Amino acid sequence: MSSKNLKDIIIQRRKVLPVQDFFTEFKKQFCLDLKTSEQTFNTSITEPEIHRPGLALAGFTEVFSYQSIQMLGTTEWSFLESMGAEKRQKIFAVLQKYSSPLWVLCHGLQPHRELLQMCESLNIPLMVSNLGTADFVKEVSYELQQWFSPFTVVHASLVDVFGVGMLYIGDSNVGKSECVLDLVERGHRLVADDSVKLVRGGKNIIGHSDPILGHHMEIRGVGIIDIRSMFGIHAVRNSKKVEIIIELQYYEENVHYDRTGLDVKYQDVMGVQIPKVVIPVLPGKNITVISEVVAMDTLMKQAGVDSAEVFNQNLLKAIQNKKSQNNSQDNIFWYRQISGFNE
Amino acid sequence: MLVKKLKVMNKSGVHARPAGMIADLTSKYKSDVFFVYRGVRANAKSILNLMMLAIVPDTEVEVEVDGPDASEVFAALEKLFDERFQEENQDT
Repeated sequence: MSSKNLKDIIIQRRKVLPVQDFFTEFKKQFCLDLKTSEQTFNTSITEPEIHRPGLALAGFTEVFSYQSIQMLGTTEWSFLESMGAEKRQKIFAVLQKYSSPLWVLCHGLQPHRELLQMCESLNIPLMVSNLGTADFVKEVSYELQQWFSPFTVVHASLVDVFGVGMLYIGDSNVGKSECVLDLVERGHRLVADDSVKLVRGGKNIIGHSDPILGHHMEIRGVGIIDIRSMFGIHAVRNSKKVEIIIELQYYEENVHYDRTGLDVKYQDVMGVQIPKVVIPVLPGKNITVISEVVAMDTLMKQAGVDSAEVFNQNLLKAIQNKKSQNNSQDNIFWYRQISGFNE
Repeated sequence: MLVKKLKVMNKSGVHARPAGMIADLTSKYKSDVFFVYRGVRANAKSILNLMMLAIVPDTEVEVEVDGPDASEVFAALEKLFDERFQEENQDT
């Protein structure tokens, strides 16, 4: 049942982003300027989408994603401009029924008085951004996706080995921390030991260190140590994509361990399939070197070289050759192999 | 699996020393022990996991114990929580 297998994890998800926090956090990044009073800050963003209310302005409100952020670009602004004050009054009288969390005007355009009045009376904020619509949508969508994406905290360690994010899972005293310490000592970089925050972003799982724990580790018999101050800034990093999971297991006689490497096992983490390697732990076995080999193997696979697959193809070829030749030539075949005569 | 809520009653919450005591105690048992606090589940046999929760004084933490000696784990944990992690006897 335990979370050591990453199966029984509690997935969390943020439900709201208060507009107040949105403004203070991203004011600079999105070049935002608040046009309504600060009392309108009571709304919250609940959806990571941005809506362009062009059709709603034109009068079609039967389908209107008013729960999203409403963004106006040059097109919408020019449409409102062409309508004249009287018609604008009518348009916003209709939209008065819908309470959106936030209205934004891009390109630093000046809001029409009628829009400002509607926002003030509905008590929702109206902001102006100096960004263009495309940039605004791209950047705000990214930040909102990050904010609303599912996350969890797992009992594991994350290390960057040769640029490959390796997540170590396993029982409490199977030797995760010792392996991690050994890797750091060999020049690899620690993301987090013992407790990793995993965030899903699209098809990726990104691991982060916990803000409280930072890059501290517990080594039994020694206590709590700070890797960053002990090994230096190059020994740590704050986040890394999880590319492979290493499960450390006590060696058991009747358990099947992968011998060929032809079949890749996957582990589901919040809906993302991540390759997993199970390594049996025995006294005197050097897990660190095995970890480096797994990392290099992953790099080779990413570069299109699958050692196990290549080896097996060669073996199959050799078997084919042997089959097509008769027994007398069999000896010559092996002679060529041994003496390097073949090529 | 047994689930119970325990209240942290010491002055400074679960900092390094209490976390060490809890990890030390739970490691002696065979059962898996987990603390669930504000939506995060932590392995109670790991001191770093416990410290990450940063449990605030006067709040409750949900304890999940699964294994053959679950009731003994609870008895020991309840005693430790009731004693306020023996904090009054130490400089914290």
